[in-house]
Amino acid sequence: MIPMHKLVLAATVAATPLIAASAAQAEGEKYILVSHAPDSDSWWNTVKNAIALAGEQMDVEVEYRNPPTGDLADMARIIEQAAASGPDGIITTLADYDVLSGPIRSAVDSGVDVIIMNSGSPDQARELGALMYVGQPEYDAGLAAGQRAKDDGVASFLCVNHYISSPASSERCQGFADGLGVDLGEQMIDSGQDPSEIKNRVQAYLSSNPDTDAVLALGPTSANPTLQALDETGLAGDIYFGTFDLGAEIVQGIKDGVIEWGIDQQPFLQAYLPVVVMTNYHRYGVLPGNNINSGPGFVTADALEMVEEFAGEYR
Amino acid sequence: MSDPLIQMKNIEKHFGSVIALAGVSVDIHAGECHCLLGDNGAGKSTFIKTLSGVHKPTKGEILFEGRDMHFADPRDAIAAGIATVHQHLAMIPLMSVSRNFFMGNEPVRKVGPFSFFDHDLANRTTMTEMEKMGIVLRGPDQAVGTLSGGERQTVAIARAVHFGARVLILDEPTSALGVRQTANVLATIDKVRKQGVAVVFITHNVRHAMAVGDRFTVLNRGRTYGTAKRGEITPEELQDMMAGGQELATLEGSLGTTV
Amino acid sequence: MADTPQLVMDERVKQISPMRRALIRPELGGIVGTVAVFIFFGLFAFDSGMFNSQGIMNWSVVSAQFMIIAVGACLLMIAGEFDLSVGSMIGFAGMMIAIFGVTLGWPMWIAILVTFALCVSIGALNGFIVVRTGLPSFIVTLAFLFILRGFTIFLPQTIERKTIIGGIREAAEGDWLANLFGGTIGKGFFTWMGEAGMIATFERGTREGQPVVDGIPMLIVWALGLVLVGHVLLTRTRFGNWIFAAGGDAEAARNSGVPVNRVKITMFMFTAFCATVFAACQVMEFGSAGADRGLLKEFEAIIAVVIGGALLTGGYGSVIGAALGALIFGVVQQGLFFAGVESSLFRVFLGVILLFAVILNTYIRRIITGER
Repeated sequence: MIPMHKLVLAATVAATPLIAASAAQAEGEKYILVSHAPDSDSWWNTVKNAIALAGEQMDVEVEYRNPPTGDLADMARIIEQAAASGPDGIITTLADYDVLSGPIRSAVDSGVDVIIMNSGSPDQARELGALMYVGQPEYDAGLAAGQRAKDDGVASFLCVNHYISSPASSERCQGFADGLGVDLGEQMIDSGQDPSEIKNRVQAYLSSNPDTDAVLALGPTSANPTLQALDETGLAGDIYFGTFDLGAEIVQGIKDGVIEWGIDQQPFLQAYLPVVVMTNYHRYGVLPGNNINSGPGFVTADALEMVEEFAGEYR
Repeated sequence: MSDPLIQMKNIEKHFGSVIALAGVSVDIHAGECHCLLGDNGAGKSTFIKTLSGVHKPTKGEILFEGRDMHFADPRDAIAAGIATVHQHLAMIPLMSVSRNFFMGNEPVRKVGPFSFFDHDLANRTTMTEMEKMGIVLRGPDQAVGTLSGGERQTVAIARAVHFGARVLILDEPTSALGVRQTANVLATIDKVRKQGVAVVFITHNVRHAMAVGDRFTVLNRGRTYGTAKRGEITPEELQDMMAGGQELATLEGSLGTTV
Repeated sequence: MADTPQLVMDERVKQISPMRRALIRPELGGIVGTVAVFIFFGLFAFDSGMFNSQGIMNWSVVSAQFMIIAVGACLLMIAGEFDLSVGSMIGFAGMMIAIFGVTLGWPMWIAILVTFALCVSIGALNGFIVVRTGLPSFIVTLAFLFILRGFTIFLPQTIERKTIIGGIREAAEGDWLANLFGGTIGKGFFTWMGEAGMIATFERGTREGQPVVDGIPMLIVWALGLVLVGHVLLTRTRFGNWIFAAGGDAEAARNSGVPVNRVKITMFMFTAFCATVFAACQVMEFGSAGADRGLLKEFEAIIAVVIGGALLTGGYGSVIGAALGALIFGVVQQGLFFAGVESSLFRVFLGVILLFAVILNTYIRRIITGER
């Protein structure tokens, strides 16, 4: 039930940002970035900052939208809605091809340009008629990391997969194995998401396979407990340890020399570049001829200064 | 005098080792108000539940129109014409008088394969029945919550009678009411009795009982000690029987007045 | 005292004014709110695309989604109970359709029917536990919120080693029952409107020249159908009276011979049915079932019902009101975006509306029951 006096309040709630938004509009292009991440996911803060920066630099309006609970069906509605509001372009993740392909294709067909970022693949982007894909192809990232480790003398490894249900996770491990030139075989474990469980499984694997050269974690969820596991077994600093993504503990680990490198997929670029690319495409008709790989960027002890300075903001 | 509608003979009810009723005998006649008096814990609610089919007696027999009475559950009792009006749990305040009146007995009108609540019939019946009882409603859709406590009791009684109650068990209908509302409820009891319904009026208030009662039975510690007719007994005697005589006399002495 | 005193109406009971009389109709709040919301967005978001064909379809579909689960939640709330497992039930039902229809390869109509039977039985179990134990339905259904969500993650992970099962659209191709959930109606009419230039058409791709909105989704048809059925059931049938009675005062209703337990269990089953309809429409439209579907939808349903004027304590409310509550919810959620409001402020807005609705409902309750 809404009595009339609530209308006044509604007007104030709505009008304040409305005025602010229209003032920033200069060149007129309007872009909407749609992500699949729930509100609680802090990783996407970097993305929000990146579009704010890109919007300011390119003089365009970029809006961030996401399903509050991470429900992909809600995300499909948001894409439909974004298309209905008639923007110049939509930048979206492609977390589930089945759910999102329909709305994205409709947006493309109704004349809105689309760039796929972060999740999805270059093939899927082409399939949907998107301009390009900006992200980190998981297999390639794993492969590059594997090659790097091979150069450092690694011959066997343990892949701590905390998200076995996602095909992308397994591709990272597979790429790493191929980079080393070894068979993945039993070297990937399903660690689950629980920190103490992850720790115990890593310890169990390492004690039954004492000749393991390296450990690969797929993100902070598995990297942080793995750090503890290595600490407790006295392997910290001794075993070759690399991980995907960054986080406070991972950065500290790199600093302490326990972690060799962290693979940064550089979400900043995933959000910043599409805005720049799309604006230039709309203004001057220029478009890069290929997809853009935002990662892998390797963060080692040498390059930590900037990472630390901008962690959570642009890194 | 006609034969009693219901005869309860030496009813006992045990719950494990607890003896709730230890020998209750009551005769209930059509067109009469039978007052059952008892203090708290005397076994009144067990008595009501036994009569209305919730409990089965451990010993003794209940005759309904001279035949042995066996009810599987309260619904059987309601179907046989034994209705209970509870002190608080009779009406739903948020619902209209008409919806309350027909709660559980909704009139239906068939339209093809579907049957619908016949609101017209329900509303008309409610208004006339309420008028008979002397309650003026703003409309049949007036919520019961806006009625006074006495009016709610009256609606509940009128409802029970409308749906064919021959025995009406009233559980402390006046205990939470003011003087004027009590008078209204007692007047309603009188009306109902004149229609030939047997009323079982359960109370611990002797004056309320004396106002409408035709017969009086006192329940004390799970037992009855015979039934007195109107005019055969004084309020003081009833009061004494209810409280077990001796102690109350002592108490009255110290208070210097009648309780 | 035995002589009959004249019964007259207490002169202190005032005749209530028509204004207050209108206020105690549960739908009134919803109607006023709906009008207010449309005026507001008409002023602030008229040119934003909110009222073009795509925009209208967008908020209509979102509102219809809320409506489907709000109808069930509304009747259950009037019957005096809550179901917090609605959101998990949506995820679970969708996943079961996917497992039966895709993984096990059953014909889609069998998969859908079995899922309905399964989910409605779980609803019955919910209700059975509540009436048998006498525990608050809040706790019992909270348990099912976790149990069902757990199965929704566990089953596909164990069977297919992933949490999203796709390929439902392909498996449902040409299935008669699947079309009842995922299809659209009025295709010809929309094509005509597109050709007549009344609605926009696709500018490129394989569907060039076709209208951007090609029909009314079955989701909306289901929503309107359920609202109609729910409304008639509640206000025009004997069972509807029992629903009010069961929620108003279960003990009093039992004393009057209302089968309260049966009513409550049936309402739990109906709520589960609505959640399953929601899930079936969703998986047929999107073609995949995910373990994260339906998160927090139980609260959205309850919020829509409360905005629509139902009392949280049961015994009072209206299906039309709940439907309007769902419409307000959907229009506000989507409209704030069109109006250019920062999306995180939506929650602020929602909280404010909810607070007003609850305060107003309590006030209405006082008017009805005469409490002070």
